[in-house]
Amino acid sequence: MYSPYDFNQSIAHRAEYVEERLKAGMPVIGISFDQGVLLFTIKRTQRKVFEIYDQMMYSAIGNQADVEAVRLASIDFAHQEGFSRSPDDVSIQRLVGFAISPPLKRAFGDPMTTPNVLRALFAEIGGTPEKDQFFVLNYDGEFSNHVKFAVAGGSDAVEDAMRESLAAHDDVPDLQTALSRAREAVRAGLRGRQGDEEEEEEGGEESGDALEKALEKGEIEAAILERNTPRESKFRLLSASEIN
Amino acid sequence: MSFNFNATGDFSHLVSLPTPAIPAATSSVSPSFDTHGTTVIAVKYKDGVLNVADRRATAGMAIMYDRSEKILPLDDHTLVSISGSFAKAVEIARFLRHSFKYYSRSQLQPMSLEGKLSEMTKALVQNLPMALQGVGTFVPVLSAWDVQNDEGRIYAFDPMGARFESTDFSAAGSGSAPIRGSFDYITRTKGPFAEMDLQTALRECLVLLDIAADLDAATGGYAKILPSAKAVTREGILNLDEAQLQAVLDQMRDGLAPQTVNVKAERVEADAV
Repeated sequence: MYSPYDFNQSIAHRAEYVEERLKAGMPVIGISFDQGVLLFTIKRTQRKVFEIYDQMMYSAIGNQADVEAVRLASIDFAHQEGFSRSPDDVSIQRLVGFAISPPLKRAFGDPMTTPNVLRALFAEIGGTPEKDQFFVLNYDGEFSNHVKFAVAGGSDAVEDAMRESLAAHDDVPDLQTALSRAREAVRAGLRGRQGDEEEEEEGGEESGDALEKALEKGEIEAAILERNTPRESKFRLLSASEIN
Repeated sequence: MSFNFNATGDFSHLVSLPTPAIPAATSSVSPSFDTHGTTVIAVKYKDGVLNVADRRATAGMAIMYDRSEKILPLDDHTLVSISGSFAKAVEIARFLRHSFKYYSRSQLQPMSLEGKLSEMTKALVQNLPMALQGVGTFVPVLSAWDVQNDEGRIYAFDPMGARFESTDFSAAGSGSAPIRGSFDYITRTKGPFAEMDLQTALRECLVLLDIAADLDAATGGYAKILPSAKAVTREGILNLDEAQLQAVLDQMRDGLAPQTVNVKAERVEADAV
């Protein structure tokens, strides 16, 4: 017999399983700046920031296969819609809200499948910084939308620390400033993660700059959507010299 | 598997072009039904492949449109010049543009030139049932910068999808037949197009187009509306605007040598909005 109790238990177990795996994820930060939108993260070996459509990009933390599945499903939806109707009809709200979130929720609720391990950040560029949009999508299909900036991290503590760091600024930055704010926010987030771990390990030692430590094993990956380009495709990966 | 996605990057698995079931023709289809583009020319010059086309579109005996654009960039290294049925050709060009973009975004690598040529063949094959009924036949000429071999390439197609690579030049459309021999005449008397600079090649193409317009009623010349010209090069797509074309035409009228006018082609984004 399958009782409501079992259902709750099953969901809780699945959430716990996913959260545990997300914890180690290097956070992703999105910032809207004067000339475009920035997605910023630290990668190990594989690319993490991807173009979805002309005016949309995506990055996620989690299991690589799940990150890829959502990326490809998003690209499929966007291109199908962009060709059959028009590129103007492809919006981040339709993409996340209708095409990606419902199947994610279904998969999460299905006790016979392995849950998707993923927390994703989608970004869409608008005509002005106020019109830029970010959607954060969770493994259970929940999503939220944001303007100015958005974060996707491995735990609440990490996300809170990053949000706090980013919310300290009220102006629309330029790219250089956005990059340094993103660095600062990742640093704060990783410090928040260390905090988590230290609690568990009962007071580990203060281990220097969290960002520098992360960069020993990985490197910064950043991409932008450009606001004032004649191209339909606004996406561009930033080169190492632009990032540093 | 919670998500269905198309792992091969094949855009045609995702969308299908409208393919109406066409009844077997009991009487011939009215020629005024299907708007046609007329003459397009592609020649290899020193730095790439130059495409020149008149801007007329006709339906039967009527001139439907005098400002049609028949040279369409598919991406930064591919141009397609279209002749024949406008409706189908423009739709196929739109399909191919999306298909190349879709492939490179989903597969995280650009589609190879061979891959792009197969896509074009598939599109023509798919169009065959309609072409056999007498409507929607189109004949593209594909010009590409071959990134792997660092050279320009020209491919002509027939309506069944056969691919013919041209070594120096190609032309399609109703005005192309009368000027076929003229390409050889130019090559033999003035040297190969591949050794010409942009302005010399452009001048020869404008002459060819003018002859086509003289000999083919459906081809627009340049008396009223200037033709369009684009080139595909290592650096991307170059556009020659009306002022540049006018400068070359003025110089021809004044009997000046081609070197006296320096044509400035502007690089344009293949997917400019």
